[in-house]
Amino acid sequence: MSDAVIVVVLLLVAACATAAVVQRDPARQALVLSVLGVLLAALFTVLQAPDVGLSQLAVGSALTPLLIMLCVRKIRRRGRPKEDAR
Amino acid sequence: MNGWILAATVALGGGGAAVLWGVTTGPPARRVIAQNLATSAVCPALLLLSQGYGRPAYVDLALLLALLGPVGTLVFARLLCDDLSEEGASAWALTWTAAGLGAAAVVALCVAVGPGRAMVKLLVVGALLISGNVIASRALAGGFRGVRGG
Repeated sequence: MSDAVIVVVLLLVAACATAAVVQRDPARQALVLSVLGVLLAALFTVLQAPDVGLSQLAVGSALTPLLIMLCVRKIRRRGRPKEDAR
Repeated sequence: MNGWILAATVALGGGGAAVLWGVTTGPPARRVIAQNLATSAVCPALLLLSQGYGRPAYVDLALLLALLGPVGTLVFARLLCDDLSEEGASAWALTWTAAGLGAAAVVALCVAVGPGRAMVKLLVVGALLISGNVIASRALAGGFRGVRGG
């Protein structure tokens, strides 16, 4: 019975990871990925590994989405002048 | 399984399902709101879990999430501002519902813990969670026009 919370969080993580793969637009993938980071931290906490959860939270909730969004923005900006030239 | 873990399971299940549904469907504005909701749903659940497992050290996770969750949302609010400015992502009913959930969890835990250092820490986490949630919602709704663009 006490495993119910583990099952719930595992199901959420599995569904969220699948959703992150299925999305096509990189910006939307980054959004789902940030939710996945928070859910993974909850999973690690439920599995009694709060130290791993802390680092996952620090990296997954803010840093990874920031890097991805900066890359997407840079690429879009670089692509725009070429399209205008054509 | 005690009541605290049961409450955390309900918060995680309900909040997580709503966040997943919101973040995978609909226009970009709704997705960012759902991403913001993830912080305000998981943070009270982490607090409840820490009480349920009887490990006060687990409160640190909720503290870090309350600090970094709004930062992540502000990243999206800043870098997706082109998509957001068309629609204006405002959902104040949802924002205050989430803030009420966090406040209810913090008050219940404060009653259980009793006065002392742990209670001060819980109150700090609650204040950070609610203020971060409101600031991120305001940024998403276009409340800070001065820092936008660019």
